Amino acid sequence: MSTPPPPSNQPSSSSPSTAFSFPPEYSFPPFFTRQTNLTTHHAQLTKWSSLVLSYCRHHRIFKLSLSGNPITTTNPTTTSTSSSERDTTELFFNRTINRRLSLPDIREVIDFLRRDNRAEYVTTTTTSTSTAAGGADGGTAGGAAAGGGGGGDIVWIYWRTPEEWAALVESWVDGTGQRGSVLTVYELVEGDGTVGAEFHGLDQELLLKALNVLVKRGKAQVFGQEDSLGVKFF
Amino acid sequence: MFLKQIDLTTALRPAYLPDEDLLFVQDNVGLYEGKYKLPNHQNGQVYLTSHRICYVDKAEPRKYSVALDLKDVERFEFYGGFLKSSAKITLVPKPTKRASLQPRSTGLAASPARSSTSSPAQHQDGPPRVSPAEPPPTSTATWVCTICSFSNPVPSNFDPTTATVHTPLAPCLACGIKPTLTHVLKATISNAASRQPGSPALQSPLPVRPRPATEVSPGPNQPRNPSPRSSDPDASFQCPRCTFLNHPSLLSCEMCGGPLISHDLPAELAPQARAHTDSPGPVLNSLSPVPAGTESPDSVKVSFRGGGEKIFYERLKSSMSQRKWLLQSAPPIPRASRPASEAHVNGPTASPATTSSTSTAVTRPKLGGIAGLEHHSQAMRKNNEFVIGTAFEDLEALMASAKEIVALADAFARQVKGASGASTASENALLADSLSQLGLMATKDIVGSSSSAGGSDSLYLSELARILAEFLTDDRRAVLRRAGGVMSLVDLWAAFNRARGGVELVSPADFDKAARLWEKLGLPVRLRTFKSGVKVVQGRDRTDETTVRALLGWLRDLHEFPPEREVPWDWRRFGRGVTARDAAERFGWSIGVAEEELEMAEERGVLCREEGIEGLKFWENFIDTGEGKGYKPPATEPSVVQALTDAGFL
Repeated sequence: MSTPPPPSNQPSSSSPSTAFSFPPEYSFPPFFTRQTNLTTHHAQLTKWSSLVLSYCRHHRIFKLSLSGNPITTTNPTTTSTSSSERDTTELFFNRTINRRLSLPDIREVIDFLRRDNRAEYVTTTTTSTSTAAGGADGGTAGGAAAGGGGGGDIVWIYWRTPEEWAALVESWVDGTGQRGSVLTVYELVEGDGTVGAEFHGLDQELLLKALNVLVKRGKAQVFGQEDSLGVKFF
Repeated sequence: MFLKQIDLTTALRPAYLPDEDLLFVQDNVGLYEGKYKLPNHQNGQVYLTSHRICYVDKAEPRKYSVALDLKDVERFEFYGGFLKSSAKITLVPKPTKRASLQPRSTGLAASPARSSTSSPAQHQDGPPRVSPAEPPPTSTATWVCTICSFSNPVPSNFDPTTATVHTPLAPCLACGIKPTLTHVLKATISNAASRQPGSPALQSPLPVRPRPATEVSPGPNQPRNPSPRSSDPDASFQCPRCTFLNHPSLLSCEMCGGPLISHDLPAELAPQARAHTDSPGPVLNSLSPVPAGTESPDSVKVSFRGGGEKIFYERLKSSMSQRKWLLQSAPPIPRASRPASEAHVNGPTASPATTSSTSTAVTRPKLGGIAGLEHHSQAMRKNNEFVIGTAFEDLEALMASAKEIVALADAFARQVKGASGASTASENALLADSLSQLGLMATKDIVGSSSSAGGSDSLYLSELARILAEFLTDDRRAVLRRAGGVMSLVDLWAAFNRARGGVELVSPADFDKAARLWEKLGLPVRLRTFKSGVKVVQGRDRTDETTVRALLGWLRDLHEFPPEREVPWDWRRFGRGVTARDAAERFGWSIGVAEEELEMAEERGVLCREEGIEGLKFWENFIDTGEGKGYKPPATEPSVVQALTDAGFL
């Protein structure tokens, strides 16, 4: 609430200023209709999944709203939510050819991703407990969006799974020789030391998921309170 | 040979001659020649028409299907069957030489398009010589009274060429009943046929016995004329009974009177006999007096193993007595009964000569211009009136003049239709066509009911299936082609029943069953059921692959030609979507068929669909282009994999 907003809340997401280049299927009208042929349908899901993943990777989107509502990304530094709006409607709605993938079909794509562990619905329980930093203040837009979507509107898009993020963090810790030292989560995400690392600017919730993976493996320990989470690597 | 190869239609039915009517069909029959079963002709269908008896083999229809002309049948006999032997109908051919001998019979045999009868028969004049037990016929012809079976001599002044109904005929000497003209005629003809030796070209290859070469010119009264082939003048012929050496030209032994058979005959006959199946069927021993020279092994038997022989016999009898094949060369209809005064009441130039009985001989009044036309139409009307009047006098007359009446009715129908609107010309043509079809329709009473349990309808259905296949593939009508090669079963049912002109309609159930038989019967059309359950009819050569190829070719064309209006996508790359309607227009299908075909192509993964505000459209499949088969999560980069391995996760 009191902490000033960070100068740039998406340092790395704004860096790929180049526009995302959609695959050719994106301008193929039948791509937006659910195919009845099983083989074709599977190919369609595959192509949609890779499109979603590459789109999110390009724009460094971690949570995706299926309905296209702007997601308020929780700012790691403050409990206040500064809504960093990204219009993700273009992903499922091609304005040039005026075709839109319907919501049930989008869910099918997400389900397809979930089977691959590439997506996960943001549940209300996670927002209220582990992501207390973001949503516990009550009435925040993020919490409302997650809760209001019926546990289904906001989706984690794991273009890297928590395990993969964890591996990246660990290799960074190893690489910088900080094994045994204590770092705050904020430092990991926003600190100057991680500017070059891939997880710089990572969604805090997602980072915590990654760190929890490390905790389970006995490679790290997370402690501290909501605002001042610290992590110690072994 | 009595039996001839025949042409089959596409549906493996006999190709009918013009004016030929189908009278009866029976399956599960076999053929015998003489006493013996004909190999490869033991399981088939027999078609009795007004002109022929056709046998269509079940296993090898194209190879072993034969027919015999009814006009070549001298007589036919019925054998009711006994214990395990099936009922049979024996058909005895006329002696084949009569055509060249009797002017009258030349007229009979002169029906056009069936002249193949005169092809040389293989053993046509063998039979008379092989039956030596026959008494030598007298030089004069005899006719056998049908009442008392007394053999009467044909009056010497009786000339078959000039005899008419009005020729006086002497009654039977025994019972005093007058014979019919045809009876006496037949007797004369057969007598003449058996009396005259064949020309050298027609000589039997069966040598009879050695005889002096000098005796080559037999007198006309020498009935059994052996082949003048052997050249040994001294050769004598040993009587098999008393061993007396007879003069070779003798028919019966001089000593004991026993019949003399040719000694080298068996050797010649043996290979032929071996060709037959070993199990000879029972022979009907005809007790009725037989005209000389007609009992021969050349006779053909139809064995009815599945029943139906009685109806066949009845219909054969009536068709033999109607002798429709004579009509082909005959003048259209006898009008002798028409009073001359009525026929020419309008003709100002009516002369006595115009009272000739045939209408073709009527002289045209020499009138010109409108008066002539008026007169002509008036005469036509009179004529029609007369034809209709006589036709409906009794049933016989109606049947006799059926052809003309049908033509008239057709013409009237056309006039009526023409008045109401000329736009239905094609419908009219179809109707007119259908009339010719009517005669060939197998109806339930034409088709014999198989006696085998459970299969009572099967013959009717298979006939129906064949007729349907013919109907579809008929080039004149081109039902299937006009429908773009595919037609829904319901449409076909409607078209078919319409073509039948409202007579003998086929029930949907029978129709469906018949359509299912196409595959089994090996007909050139097939029934296809789409995923949705819609049944369509298409040619056998039309497969899904060809359809898909056609669809794809069409869609690829759309890459080349710009769409009518601007489209936001890259039409050079994707082409454009097509609706079922577009496809129906393009290929001439009905909309329902087009939908099914498109969905079939989609099912095969060739097309994909787009549902939008403009309805369902189908596109070339650019979604599943094959590269998605080995889908891998894209995020697995080498560095991550390395890190994961390091961390011990992998």
